[in-house]
Parts: sequence; structure tokens; C-alpha cells
Amino acid sequence: MSRALQDLVVIDATTTFWASLGVALLADFGADVIRLELLPGAGDERMTRGGQGRGDGAGWDYEFALANRNKRSIAIDATSAEGAAIVRGLLERADVFASDRQLEDLRAIGCDAATARSQNARIIYARASAFGPEGPDADAPVLDELAAGRTGMMPILGQPGEPPVYAGVGPMYTAVMLAYGIGAALEHRADTGEGQDVDVSLFGGNIYGASLDVQAYLAIGGERFLQPLSRLDAGNPMSGPVYPTKDGRWVTLTMPDTGRYWQAFAQVTGLEVDDARFDTHEKRCEEHRLEMMGVLDDIFRTQDADHWRAAFREHGLSGDVIEDYAYPANDEHARRNRYIVERDDPGAGRVKTIGFPIFMSETPARLRSAAPALGQHTAEILHDLLGRDEDAIAAMEMRHVIA
Amino acid sequence: MSSPDGAPAAAEAARDTKGALSGLRVIDLTMWFQGPVAGQLLADFGAEVIHVERPQGGDLGRGVRSIKALPVGDWNQYFLVINRNKKSLALDLNKPEGREVMYRLAAEADVFLSNVTVENLEKWEVTYERLSAINPRLVYAVGSGYGHFGQITRPSFDLTVQALTGLMMRLGEPGQPPIYAGMGSGDAMGGLMAALGIVLALQARRRTGRGQFIDASLYGAQLFLAAPSLQAYLATGDQRHARQQSRRARRNPLWNVFPARDKWITVCARNDDDVWTRICGALDAAALRDDTRFATAGGRREHTADLTDAIDALTSTRDAAEWLARLADAGIAAGPVNNLAEFAEDGQAWANEYLLRTHCDEVNREVTVRGLPIRLSKTPGAVRSLGPELGQHTEELLVDTLGYSWEDIGRMKEQGVIL
Repeated sequence: MSRALQDLVVIDATTTFWASLGVALLADFGADVIRLELLPGAGDERMTRGGQGRGDGAGWDYEFALANRNKRSIAIDATSAEGAAIVRGLLERADVFASDRQLEDLRAIGCDAATARSQNARIIYARASAFGPEGPDADAPVLDELAAGRTGMMPILGQPGEPPVYAGVGPMYTAVMLAYGIGAALEHRADTGEGQDVDVSLFGGNIYGASLDVQAYLAIGGERFLQPLSRLDAGNPMSGPVYPTKDGRWVTLTMPDTGRYWQAFAQVTGLEVDDARFDTHEKRCEEHRLEMMGVLDDIFRTQDADHWRAAFREHGLSGDVIEDYAYPANDEHARRNRYIVERDDPGAGRVKTIGFPIFMSETPARLRSAAPALGQHTAEILHDLLGRDEDAIAAMEMRHVIA
Repeated sequence: MSSPDGAPAAAEAARDTKGALSGLRVIDLTMWFQGPVAGQLLADFGAEVIHVERPQGGDLGRGVRSIKALPVGDWNQYFLVINRNKKSLALDLNKPEGREVMYRLAAEADVFLSNVTVENLEKWEVTYERLSAINPRLVYAVGSGYGHFGQITRPSFDLTVQALTGLMMRLGEPGQPPIYAGMGSGDAMGGLMAALGIVLALQARRRTGRGQFIDASLYGAQLFLAAPSLQAYLATGDQRHARQQSRRARRNPLWNVFPARDKWITVCARNDDDVWTRICGALDAAALRDDTRFATAGGRREHTADLTDAIDALTSTRDAAEWLARLADAGIAAGPVNNLAEFAEDGQAWANEYLLRTHCDEVNREVTVRGLPIRLSKTPGAVRSLGPELGQHTEELLVDTLGYSWEDIGRMKEQGVIL
């Protein structure tokens, strides 16, 4: 079967889970993604990737496995003259170079933008940073907690009086923006032959993810956007709040145009359709907004979550139960759409992992290979891509230029 | 909320440069946020994106009047920002002649993008089968709610889908209500995934000469959004990864948010002895440094609640700026937990054009908008115009792009096919 990014060669010099995962999106759709692993110490570096969950007895490094599936690995000592020549060769041969390393580190391994460009004018040079390439914080450490803290959302995600909430989603936006930016640059290159730099950042990713709150504040302003709101102070009692159920779970509703749903909603909740407090959208969302939330809070506590789910579905209402990860993990629908897939891991046996968020009818994502061992493909890449012969490869191995 | 001095005016220059996606024509039959924002990502890079709307009121996003119980203001930023750089075609797809216009447009387009329901796509006869028969090169992209397989047709809004991913249940302190990751946070991911799917399909088309069907659903995108903790849960089955975790029970108590006197700060420090010594120095905390419970990494982890309380007590005595300066001097990565007002003044956001000033025709003044989070050095994105008026480009598109006559236009207007 044909693949969307067939024949595309990507040098992946990423170090973090999320940036590697962004490049994996290209590998999933058929690009030849080559992880550039730097000797010595490449093994240690692997252990610094990702964050939580490591060493908790899963039996496999699931973060590395997810973020580097479908990739090949080449391990090089880029500080040696021979290693540096290999890096130059790879840059010359590649369509895309992607990294989340600091500028200083990139310069040290001969992979800064200027050097890459001097090797290959067609190369798309993609970089993910913490705060973007301009401004005083261009060289800040690539830590999402710091970027999220600057975006303005952490103080308002929780309830009043609670600590700020770090949601941890910023890197995921940034990862996909990295892949999308590369895709847009490939389109331009296909038309013009011209490569260029692609820059994304954790700050930009967090801002994008917070689009609606950010834009609403910029346009409207005011204290209401700066303070956390009580869950019983939503703008619309039927759109946005969370309500507890009898069995200690939660439901949530999204019916922005309340009039469209009101009749059925009243029936499901046992409210009178002509209740004079709530019988128009204006009353529900303005005059009697807070009162209605209080009333609904009591009503939803009278039945279990499953009851509400069934009632919402039966009446075509937009509402659902707030689940934990056990739900998608066991959801046949997530499996059928390959959002969560099962595969055999050499160490851990049958395992579940995040699958493919994009369905393509003609060039679907595929799991071709598991994440590579360190330097697993060094020899074949040197041979196939750079035309080095067996003896030269063996000699470099002896001198620890490659592994 | 103005741009600080010295911020680059590259946005101005970029308006006239060619975009990375120039020459691409996109039919954007979308509404609310997930679909429109996918179109916005294409339009920012120069694609000709045609937002197709019903003549009666248009995209439902135009009807947003309040946000967080506040009036939306004199310009509808909800609609205008995610539909910026687009054209608007007001077309009644319930009428056969309206569908005929759509078919002629499909013949001239590269991409069809939609997040309306499958029922409507079928009712309006704009299914993949129908449009790809007209134009086999067409990339047909759907942002569905739950995915292509399985035919789940119940309503899908950001929040009701986010509820199913499990992300909400793991945010916040134990015992607190589940937390929504932000208005439209899942839609934003869904739209971004659709945009990525489209450029992937365009790459494939260059080789095969054919378009294809793609679906980037809210559910799939939001499961990806949850990847860091969801993958940990999938791999281990450990409930800890699914549940809320107290900030007083962190495995590394030195990687956390702490309350300063005026606001919170974030500290990102490894739990090792050298770092601990430096933190104690920065916090002027001789007593903490000498506390035997906290003398080793293991001890600090074991007594994480006590240590968190002790650090809280210290940090809450002085303002954030002072702590951040001291931590920086000690070589400890730390930063402020800002609010949206502080964010709006953040020079770093302006320097990178993550925030921009642009003209809003609706109110005839400059407004501040969410800018361009992806920078391409030679073909940067640009905000050339905010969202169009309903049907603003209908005549231009019908006459110039599709070759309709002015008689046709008059007749279709009379019949309510177009606005």
C-alpha cells in the first residue's frame, strides 16, 4: 500500500517524549525517520526523555516505544571528525531535520540551521523550542511547566482557592504543530524547490490550546477571566458545567443553544417545560443562571451516572459521563478506530498503546516496526543512504565513531 | 495590551508574501470551532479557504453572544479569529441549485473540509463518494466526533468528548471536581489534526494524482492530547495514572508549583543533593537544609507532604519576582504562574507574533488577536483579514471562479439559493 510520506527522509534529533512523538506522526505515515543518537552517552540521554511513569514496573519503556515507533536509529559520535562527516552526509541527503535541542547543542554537533542549510538548500529545518526563536527567552530550557505558567491558564482551570492546575497538554499541541509546520513547508518546497525553517514552541502550543480563553480575554478583558470560577458559576447552566451524580461520578453538558434542547432536557431532568424561571434562553443563561445551576446540581445527585448517560442518549441531548482512563482503555470504539492499538512487545508481551489519530483511506498510518534499539540501523543507513562500504563501517565501529 | 516597543512588524510584510499553501483552494463547510480552526490553519498559510455557510444566519459560531456569562463585546472575536483570512460563501444546500454550486466548486477545489454531521453531508449530497466522483483529486477531510468506524452519531462537542478520554478525571487535587483543560481545548487539537491530515494527503496526491478521505475525529485527537498520562495508564494499568494527584504527594517534591506572597511560581528542579542545597540557599532556608528528614533524595521523597508544606510556608512570605530572581541566580529553572492579563503583556509572546494587532472592519479599529504559533521562515503565516461577513464573497466566487452569469446570480438570490 502506498504511504503518504513515502521516500521522505527525516533526521530526528529530538530528545523529549513529545517532540519525538511529533516526528513519529511523520513516521506513522511512511516517512523514513532516522533517529540521530549522539555518542557517547546516548544511552543516558534516552533515560532523560519523558518524565513520569518511568521505572514503574511496566516491563517496557512505553514512552520511548510510543514516541519512536516506525523509526530507525543511527548512533554517531558527532564530535569526531568522521562522525561529523556522517552528520554532514545525513543533512545533505535529508528532506527534513527536526530537533528540540538548544541552539548551543545544535552548533556543537554541526546541526544548526546555517550549517544544515549550507549542506542542503532544500532541507526543511524544524525546531521546537520552549518560548520561540525570538525574544529574551529564546534560549530558555525546554520545560513545558514554565511555558504553561506563562500562558495565563493555570490560575483559572481549578476551583477557587485551589492551587493552579498544570494540565500538561501544551506539548501535545506543539508536537502536532511541528508535524503540520513541516507538512506546510513540504508543500511550498514541492512547488518551489525551496527549503525553509519551521519553528514551533511549547509557549506557542500552550497558547494555541488555550485559543478561546486567550482570545476572549484579549477581546473582553476583566477580572472574570483572571479568577477561577466556581463550578456552579458557568456562563450557561446547560453548557460547560460539571455536576456530581448519586454514585459519586460526574456528568457534563454542552448545549450552547439551550432552546433547541429545552423540551427534551426538561423532560429528562424532571423540570417543568414552562417553569417561569427557566422557560427562555435568556432566563436560563442570564437572570436565573445561578439558580438553575443550583437546581440542576440537586437533580443530578438523585440518579447514578449511567442513568443520565442513557437518558441523554435516548433524548439526543449533548451530555455525557466524565470517565477515567479505564474507559478508553477498554473502549471497543477506540480500538476499532485504531486510536488505541494492541501490539506484541518483545519484552512485555501483548501491550496497549496510543494508536493513530488520523484516518486516511488510501494511505493509512501503519505500525511497521517497533522503536529501534540504540544504533540498530547504523550500518544499513551508512550503507544505503551514504554509500559507505562494509570495511569503512567496521573500522568506524572499532574506533567508536558509530555504534 | 499594546505591542511593546521593538516588536517586529513582520506581520505587515507577510501580508504580501506568498504563503506556503498559496494556490490551494479549500471548501470549508464547517461550524463552531473544530472545523473552522482547521481551515484557519490552512488560511493563515495562504490557502484560499471558502467558508460555506447557510444563508440564514450562517455558521452557528456567528451567534455567540456571551462567553463566561460576559457579553462577547462589539466584535464577535469567537467567530472572526478562527475564520480569519477566509472568504464567505452563503449557500443553501437544501436547494438543488445550491448543491449544483457546491459541485462546481468541488470541481475547482483541492480540499473539502467539514465538521457537520454525517446526516447533513448525506442530506446535502456532499458525501465523499459524490464529490470525489466529480473531482478525484479532491482531498476530502472530515472532523467527526468519534471516528469513521462505528457510526456513532450522537452530538459531539468538545467537552462531552473530552469527558470520555479520561483526561478531566486526572486533573486537579483529589476530591475536587474534574477539570476541563480550557474552552475548546479539544476542538483545537481536532482542528490541528485535520490540518495535518490534509497536508499529508496533499503530499500523497503529488505522487498518486488522487485525493482521499480522511477523518480526524475529536475523540482520536483528544486521546492523543492525553497521551502522556494515558499511555502510562495503558502500559501499567496503574490507577495512579488515571486519578487526581495531590501536589503534596509528588514523587519529586522539588518539581511543583509553590505559592509566593502575590502569586504562584513553578519550580522545575531535579531531586538531588546539589540542587537541594542550592534551593535552600535561594530560599534562605538554613533550617530546611539542616532538617535530617530532607537530607537525602529518598528522604525528601518519603516526606514529600511535609517538605511541600515547609516550602509553601517559606515561599508565601515574599513576592514571586524576588524568589524567581534568587532561584535564577542559583541556577534553578523556575517561572511565574501568570494570569491572562500578565500573559497579554508578555513581551515574549509579542516578539514571536503569538499575539498580534490587526484591523477589525466590524468595529473599524485595531484589535489584539491570537497570532501565529507556527513560524515558517520564508513563507510566514499572516493575518490578512479577520473573518468575513456572511456571504461577503458569494458573487465574486460565483462569477470569477465558477463562471456564473449575473443573470444566474440574480435568479439564485431571488430563490434564496445564495444571499
